[in-house]
Amino acid sequence: MVRFLQACADGLLTGALYALIGMGLALIFGVMRIVNFAHGAFLMVGMYATYVLFDYFKINPYWGFLPAGLFLFAFGYLCYLLFIRPVRNRSHFMQILMTVGIGLILTDGAQLIFKADYRQTNIDLVNRSMHFGPFGANVAEVVSFVIAIAFVMGLHAFVVKSRTGQALRAISQNPEIAPLMGINLTRIQGFSFALGIALAGVAGGLLLPRLYLFPGVGEDYTTKAFVMVVLGGMGSIEGAALGGLLLGVTESLTSLYAGNEWALIVDFVIFLLVLSFKPSGIFGRQRA
Amino acid sequence: MRLKTFFALAIASIGTFTAPVWGQGTVKIGVITSLTGSLAAFGEAHKNGYAIALDEINAHGGVLGKKVELDFYDDQSKPDQAVQGVSKLVDQDGVPLILGSYSSESTKAIVGTVTQRETPLIIPTATADNVMDSKSPWVFRICAGANDYAKATIAFLKANGAPKTMAIVYENTNFGQSNMKAMTAAAKEAGINLVAVESYEAKSPDYKAVLQRVKQANPEVIYYCSYLLDANTLMRQSREVDLNPRFFTSAGTGFAAAEFPTADKGAGKNAEYTFSVSQWLPEAKWLGSKEFDAEFFKRFNSHPAYHAIQAYSALKVAAAAINNAKSLEPAKIRDAIKNINLPSTPFGPIKFDNGQNQHPVLITQILGGKYHVVFPADAADIKPVIPAPVWAKR
Repeated sequence: MVRFLQACADGLLTGALYALIGMGLALIFGVMRIVNFAHGAFLMVGMYATYVLFDYFKINPYWGFLPAGLFLFAFGYLCYLLFIRPVRNRSHFMQILMTVGIGLILTDGAQLIFKADYRQTNIDLVNRSMHFGPFGANVAEVVSFVIAIAFVMGLHAFVVKSRTGQALRAISQNPEIAPLMGINLTRIQGFSFALGIALAGVAGGLLLPRLYLFPGVGEDYTTKAFVMVVLGGMGSIEGAALGGLLLGVTESLTSLYAGNEWALIVDFVIFLLVLSFKPSGIFGRQRA
Repeated sequence: MRLKTFFALAIASIGTFTAPVWGQGTVKIGVITSLTGSLAAFGEAHKNGYAIALDEINAHGGVLGKKVELDFYDDQSKPDQAVQGVSKLVDQDGVPLILGSYSSESTKAIVGTVTQRETPLIIPTATADNVMDSKSPWVFRICAGANDYAKATIAFLKANGAPKTMAIVYENTNFGQSNMKAMTAAAKEAGINLVAVESYEAKSPDYKAVLQRVKQANPEVIYYCSYLLDANTLMRQSREVDLNPRFFTSAGTGFAAAEFPTADKGAGKNAEYTFSVSQWLPEAKWLGSKEFDAEFFKRFNSHPAYHAIQAYSALKVAAAAINNAKSLEPAKIRDAIKNINLPSTPFGPIKFDNGQNQHPVLITQILGGKYHVVFPADAADIKPVIPAPVWAKR
């Protein structure tokens, strides 16, 4: 029982970061109906941004993720203006090609600038652990978890309460009518794309201390983000967050009871099952 | 302007007069290694080892009276890139032989390609035994392999309390699988009960579930088969899940890397008390070991692990073979490597038996942030600390 609960806790610690990644993807999909195949690549850019701050300016990644997130917001907005806006009303096929292309360029660009080396930030926090009775946790992972959950709640409150959040939801419900109600479509779409990318960047920064960094690190996370978004119901931001937590726990339990080599397989089996039998997602609703 | 050109020419001509007298052209030797990618730390060790050997060779007149040059190809730690490296080095650059690559995965991938192109290959560091499976007459290996690792570890355990249960934790790559298989066979033969055999994906962010499974099995010995970054994470998370076997043993590589006991690039204090197989240490009794260590430290400001001296030895063997062959023809070089017999090198005696150099394996333990030889007894510089203290008491 202790082992089961410990594995669930470890899964939640990872799952909170997944939740951030999934919410970013869901936000972009909900507002723009664009599936961002470059999501993992943006996460990787966030990791490198945090890493550069750490390596050159000695800024701890647990501060560095903030400027990295802001940078990714600006970078995401720029990408929207240059690449996404021109294809927003084109076929899905065009949009997929565009985002896949952006992802490839980012990954290869990182390889060009930083080489294919694996990098690690060996900060003190990573080597500390805390214990509660029979349970234990890495301090760095707990810090990442707390920050990630704060962002998840913050984003939720923002989407539900603020005027911009209402505009986001209006567009995701009906992109034709919303502009007639005085909502600036381009501004809101650009904003939500940038915000989604910034969330990926923040998740990258928080992931950095516990993982290692190389140009291809994001690829796995793009596919994982798809799984979360599908689990949570396409385009539902809260659903994607729950999907992320669920995915983290599933992976951890699979590794514990079946072995680590099964973790990725189980991810995608769930993905296929949900798509086949309950395409609206386990949590029911179609969109935010 | 013209004056400048004159001076430039004058200086250039002085250069040609003061340089040693070389024959026409240079001899290019192909090197494939992992200068970038996940294994870049080991590629760096290779590069530094090759650099020392190259300078020694050229200081002693090069080969066939010509200066030696190394033609590097970076496989980016990927097997497909290593195969492209063979094409580039052989077909475009026309090198007569190749040294490399670093990993077992990349090396396994190029064995077929060099055989097809009839180019000799000297393998410095790949320990998976399947790189020698093809019995290709073009392939020679300097280092000891996975079977030797498993046997040495078992012999060490037998001499130190003969534990009865073991768990193997291995990375799901050619290197990891090969060492897992070798240890599975060796443990069975020794009557050691394997209570858990767990693989992991290096890219996975969390090995704790795997380590929990191992903890549940409660082995006396854990045998890790890991590269560097995963070795760091494995030891950190072993501490987190409070995994306390009597022995943390390992198939070298990450656990034997010079960086591993350090705090900034390795596992720091979590590396203490871990055992590892090793092929060489600066303290090794072979003539020239200390000098190699001193030269390496002078140049790179760090002490070498065995990966560097294996690269060094590979290049020295290549140079000796070309000189013996008195030719740059690949087939003649191959025959010369077959017949090579170097009784005293800093890496011990080198001689190939069916392509394999019979190299003894040592067992080391990290104590006080340093590697010490603890087995076999005649090479040991310190007594092993057994059992490893439980994490709570460290």
